[in-house]
Amino acid sequence: MERSAFVLALSLLAVDSVAGSEVAKVPVETFELSNGMKFLAVVRPELATVSAGFVARVGSANERPGITGMSHFFEHMMFKGTRTLGTRDIERDLQIVEEQERLQEAMRAIYREQRERYRLGEIDDPFADEARPPELLELQKRFDALTEEERELMVKDEYDRIYTAAGASGINAFTSEDVTVYFLTVPANKLELWFWMESDRLLSPVFREFYSERDVVHEERRLRTESTPTGEFDEVFDAMFWQSHPYSWPVVGWPSDLRSYSLAQAKEYFDTYYAPNNLTAALVGNFDLDEARALAERYFGHLQRREPAPDVVTLEMDPRAEKRMVAECDCQPQVEIRYHSVPFRHRDSYALEVLAGLLNGRSGRLYKSLVLERGLAADAAASQDSRKYAGAFSLYAEAKKGASPEDLERALLEEVRRIVEEPIPGRELQKVKNQITASAYQKLSGGFFLLIQLLQYDGLGDWKYLNDWAETTLAVTDSDVKRAAERYLDPEERTVGLYHREPEGAEP
Amino acid sequence: MTAAWVIPLFLSAVPQSIPARPEALRFDELRFEVPDPSRYRHELPNGIVAYVAPDSTFPLVSLRIQMRQGSYLEPENKVGLAGLTGSLLRTGGTERLDPAAFDEEVEFLAAGISAFSGDSRAAANLDCISPVLDQAMDLFFEMLQKPRFDEARLTIEKESLLEAMRQRNDDPSDILSREWDWLLEGETFYRSRRMTKDHLDAIARKDLVRFHQKYWRPENAIVTVSGDVDPAKILAKLESYLADWSGAGAPTDWPPPQPAHEPRPGAYHVEKDIPQGTVVLGHPVPRWADWGNPERAALQIMDHILGGSGFTSRITKRIRSDEGLAYDAGSSLGFDALGPGSFTVSFQSKNDTVALATEIALEEIERIRTEPASDEEIAIAKASLIETFPRRFESASQIAGTYAGDAFIGRSHDYWKSWRDQVRAVTADDVLRVARKYLKPDAIVFLVVGKWEEIAPGDAGGRASMKDLFGGEVTHLPLRDPLTLKALP
Repeated sequence: MERSAFVLALSLLAVDSVAGSEVAKVPVETFELSNGMKFLAVVRPELATVSAGFVARVGSANERPGITGMSHFFEHMMFKGTRTLGTRDIERDLQIVEEQERLQEAMRAIYREQRERYRLGEIDDPFADEARPPELLELQKRFDALTEEERELMVKDEYDRIYTAAGASGINAFTSEDVTVYFLTVPANKLELWFWMESDRLLSPVFREFYSERDVVHEERRLRTESTPTGEFDEVFDAMFWQSHPYSWPVVGWPSDLRSYSLAQAKEYFDTYYAPNNLTAALVGNFDLDEARALAERYFGHLQRREPAPDVVTLEMDPRAEKRMVAECDCQPQVEIRYHSVPFRHRDSYALEVLAGLLNGRSGRLYKSLVLERGLAADAAASQDSRKYAGAFSLYAEAKKGASPEDLERALLEEVRRIVEEPIPGRELQKVKNQITASAYQKLSGGFFLLIQLLQYDGLGDWKYLNDWAETTLAVTDSDVKRAAERYLDPEERTVGLYHREPEGAEP
Repeated sequence: MTAAWVIPLFLSAVPQSIPARPEALRFDELRFEVPDPSRYRHELPNGIVAYVAPDSTFPLVSLRIQMRQGSYLEPENKVGLAGLTGSLLRTGGTERLDPAAFDEEVEFLAAGISAFSGDSRAAANLDCISPVLDQAMDLFFEMLQKPRFDEARLTIEKESLLEAMRQRNDDPSDILSREWDWLLEGETFYRSRRMTKDHLDAIARKDLVRFHQKYWRPENAIVTVSGDVDPAKILAKLESYLADWSGAGAPTDWPPPQPAHEPRPGAYHVEKDIPQGTVVLGHPVPRWADWGNPERAALQIMDHILGGSGFTSRITKRIRSDEGLAYDAGSSLGFDALGPGSFTVSFQSKNDTVALATEIALEEIERIRTEPASDEEIAIAKASLIETFPRRFESASQIAGTYAGDAFIGRSHDYWKSWRDQVRAVTADDVLRVARKYLKPDAIVFLVVGKWEEIAPGDAGGRASMKDLFGGEVTHLPLRDPLTLKALP
């Protein structure tokens, strides 16, 4: 393949381009309500649906010890209904929620004593079933009776039922360190239903089933973290990597916090972070823009603007020493080397993305060197993780044929050294840029995926990233890449996770 | 003054009231006609069927060739040969280009080229931006027709597979799916058998070459193209690529063989020191080849109500939403056109509530067989199935994919025309009848991976224990050596 052929192809592409410019761009209409709620709209008449959602600019980074996991838990609570949906008798329902909260308050007082007993070594686990004193069992019994009563009045999961019956699909949400995103897809004629349902749960949510949902989240933690080969060690690694920043705790939260939060804390959290001025909504699909504007005003216009949410002020400390974790698990021997790099839209983030591009892929440097030439690894990869407040660059490899995690570490560091010290061939850089050009189109092609990106990027800082990342990245030079590698991938400031396979028959 | 005051009232419009409940909203009708399959279906001169769905919204093209072949055709002592042939087809280079040069060319074009071979379906895919389609198609067909199966890459691929085998007991869900397949279909059936190190050692380059010559053949192929293409041009191009790719092979035996194994109902357990038991329970259902049978629509509605539709379904509602016993809980009735399907309930719950969640799942299976579903449940399920139906045809690639899928399993495209009417016609009696006919409580196989000393006694509240389930009996299955799959002591 001659390079000129591709350049020709690219210039052809520029002529045919959807946005009439050299790289893919998506036309996004934006408007803002007087209460500060932002809307992003992409009209795609060829679709039979509208994908719709909103992002709350809040994630685990906004938490503090004691309420870790609250953002994610809260995401679950947003599906539990409102004053209108979810119950046949809202007055009694609210009374039950309140009575249950009083019982939980009494239970929390007992758990406070349980923690004291735990500190004194009288019990091994303050939350263990067998350690529960009789008063706690009594309170639990009264709590359960109220749950039974509430259930008689409830219209279970009415939020989901109404959407499902209307032909909505993919009704879901996710929470990260920085954002909480809610989304779904409705038939094109039912956009107003989305406005009704989402404004209803932002205006008058009722956090019923708060405590049974805590158990669901605990099961989610067991599933994703505690029962996977490396889950618990990945958590240790994160906690070790982030010294001062709240990124150090897991999105799902510490188990002791999951057992402890109260309804009052949840309400305060909602008031702080779910104000309209902390939200951006987006619509992608087949709808009329003027109608969407009118609906936005009608349904969301009366949400009350609040004080801006507090900023995350804690900055990550500059690394002072190399850090190493040595883990033994039921897992393939593997290594991760992680460096502190830069956050979302930082001017150096684009060069770091190109660096990851040079290292990744079947014809990329890591695969070529570690997998093909040296035969040390079954797999190897690099990534730049650009979060809202800070970022990290990671190198990863999984061993084969008895190679140790330390062997992999040396081989990965050697590839970093080569980037810094040796010239980067022009064709190699062009290959990465060709992939960026292609992926700029691929990222825009699916309606639902486009929605998620708009919400994610606006939650991190600015949706416009979607339209300018490719252009900015294509302007990166080889010396930008080398400079970024030298600056951020300092061997003395690395954090290394070494995962060894636990010898067979070893005690867990 | 008065006039000036009156006018803004009309102009600014009194805020329109928001209905008290969402049911009061009125929506325009959304008409949808199933796209005419004859607009997409083409037959090339050599008999190959191609589905072409043009869409120039973006300068992107997807090309897929699927074939009726897979691991059911490999010899018993070389389990994994089909899969290895598929992956080496992509990674092993071509007669002209060594593997590294092939990878380099593909990635320089920013094209995605892949090939794989599954149990009974193999496919090769090409995704690229349209300006490089010609060069990318050259590489794609070069790979399919003149692969090198490079010896050194084969060694690397085999080493990787060996490493993947070593991880077979690391994740509880891998143990679960292996033992489940064996319990349902036996250890030797093509869909359930697993590769061992002996199989891997027995596979040589010549086996791959032979498998490719015999089965990666145009006679078995169905082609799908979607995206920024001109149908006439792409068909002419396909014709020229496929014209000189014919010869030796006869069409393969089709459909694949049926299992001889009869599952033994009851409870089974594999020990793993984790805080959460991961569970699957269920039984096989017959192969589904009669797509005109209206029971199909009733079964889909039953599946929706019982556990197939998230929070609106009974199993999810009770196990997750009411009791908080699991994050992920649901059921699925999977019909297969090529062999038996299965009805399964799956969830993960902390060890001591596995018995309670299981009891609830069994209650719900019994209930849907003995009581008619409510009108509301039936109505929600029908509305959901009917309203989401157009999404199956929303994009060019979905249209092409749906019709190619029909061709692959031998289903008439007309199936979709009457689909919504069949769903509309289903009654509560129909649902009850098919539930009785297809769900078989006595045939249920239950499998859990977790810590038995915590699972067996059940929950602290004494609501359920494993003693009360499946006659109080359990078969403890051994963990398997990851390389030989022989029972570990």
